[in-house]
Amino acid sequence: MNKQYNLRILVSAVLFALVFVSCKGHEEEYHSVMERIEAESENYHGVTLSTEQYLQELQTIEITEGEHTFLIPERKSQIKSFACTECHSKSLKELQDSNIGKKAHWDIAIDHANEETMNCATCHNTSDMDNLKSLTNKRIDFNKSYNLCSQCHTKQFKDWKGGAHGKNVGGWAPPRAALTCVNCHNPHKPHFESRWPARFNTQKVKERE
Amino acid sequence: MSDNSKKWFSLNLNSKTKQSTGSCGCGSTTGGCGSSTNDHHISDKKFDEEVLTAIGEEKKKDGFDQVFEVKMDRRTAFKQLTASLMIGAGAVSTSCSVIAGDETKEKSQIDWEEQFKGNYKLMTDEEKNGTVERLVRSYQIRTGKTVNMSSQNAEENVLFGYAFNISKCQGYMDCVSACVEENNQDRNSQMQYIRIHEMKDGNGFNFNEADDNYYHEVPAEGHFYMGTQCFHCDNPPCVEVCPVQATWREDDGLVVVDYDWCVGCRYCMAACPYDGRRFNWSKPEVPEEDVNKNQHYLGNRLRKKGVMEKCTFCVQRSRAGKNPACVDACPTGARVFGNLLDPNSTIRWVLENKKVFRLKEDLGTEPKFWYFMD
Repeated sequence: MNKQYNLRILVSAVLFALVFVSCKGHEEEYHSVMERIEAESENYHGVTLSTEQYLQELQTIEITEGEHTFLIPERKSQIKSFACTECHSKSLKELQDSNIGKKAHWDIAIDHANEETMNCATCHNTSDMDNLKSLTNKRIDFNKSYNLCSQCHTKQFKDWKGGAHGKNVGGWAPPRAALTCVNCHNPHKPHFESRWPARFNTQKVKERE
Repeated sequence: MSDNSKKWFSLNLNSKTKQSTGSCGCGSTTGGCGSSTNDHHISDKKFDEEVLTAIGEEKKKDGFDQVFEVKMDRRTAFKQLTASLMIGAGAVSTSCSVIAGDETKEKSQIDWEEQFKGNYKLMTDEEKNGTVERLVRSYQIRTGKTVNMSSQNAEENVLFGYAFNISKCQGYMDCVSACVEENNQDRNSQMQYIRIHEMKDGNGFNFNEADDNYYHEVPAEGHFYMGTQCFHCDNPPCVEVCPVQATWREDDGLVVVDYDWCVGCRYCMAACPYDGRRFNWSKPEVPEEDVNKNQHYLGNRLRKKGVMEKCTFCVQRSRAGKNPACVDACPTGARVFGNLLDPNSTIRWVLENKKVFRLKEDLGTEPKFWYFMD
């Protein structure tokens, strides 16, 4: 009797061990990929890769907005006729009256919101041409022009900071670099033009005939 | 016992009926089929003899012998011998030849080693380097051009993920072009990994009515665009069905193919619920000047006829820290790529802050490719 009891215990112990071992065997398998991500990123300690080498051609500045710190392209060196005060040494009225002959900024027409909302002076400051200005007349550097856009486009600004809006450049590895608003959107005409697709697959047409 | 005049083959394995003579299944040459009754029961000894006559020695042979010790006429034997020994004999003769040049010798040596290499999945790092070196040298001998091929392994602490913003895609297809150029896809068949679907507003994701080969000014009024490609599932059905394990999931989540191990059965193509895989029906051709020479063994190296291929998230780029070519080419920023294990990555921010979903989530394939909207 006692022997049988011992045997029973032994068998159940072996069975239990088997089940336990076979469950442990699938340690790497998760029920969903989100579960896997959560578990495996707990001890995340960075990667050895870096995108710095790919960003060398791009002159960048580091910005910190809220909890996000990343690089954006430096802007001032990319504006052809910066600094503005090199021409704008006198007031606009004087420049217009002086009849230099050559028209400046003739190709800029504002196609951004409507006239009730925006005109040149919404962003440009006639008394401080080398900088932009906020709605409350605070100075905004050309390099950080996103601060101007974010006054109205708050949702896009939030997504851009997080990485859901806009374009990340360099690569996925740190440091993170993203284009700023004006790299994709012409601030005077911010919408994207419609155009023809880059390609048309003639073979696909044949296959489906 | 056997009738030598019989010119056809008939299965005679479990039949107790003597089936050796005459043109009729019952064995009788005269009278009706039912007329002969005396031969219906034969002794065991006789049965064994029957079997021996019908299938010969094969009964005693195992699978290996069955393949290699079959009776065949001289013509077939020579054919088979020549086919299987062509490479070997060629390699041996050229490498031993005094007349053949060093390059020819080297080439046949490479061909020999490439012919008998194993599955990349099981290779040690040394073996991986070896095959990559051979492939580079072989390309050099054949074309005089040098490619840069990598066998870089998955980086630790990396799991690649992708997000696609449906609100932002305008259907320009710049991604498709960039992908074709980056990945050396066959120009003849105009193979493309990415498909951009033009869908009617209000109809939701209706792939039956969507157009993935439009050619008109985009974005078209009343339409939205979304792209599909290989989703690099965490539970990939294509990997399950591969009979030779020529496709597998790497540690960084990339689902890859060993083009040299693939037998071209296309099971994976049928198993993929997303149309993520492509087959080389003809010899893929890329003009020499258009070949992307920055290659990876598991990625954009040149393929051959009869093998599967697919998006690898540009393994040659992503394992070097770069974004895939489609991400870099997208002018609207609709494509987000990154490391799912990095809590500070942009892909993680998208997953945690946007309303994301995946295609056919109920299949349990766990794609690492999410869609979201503004």
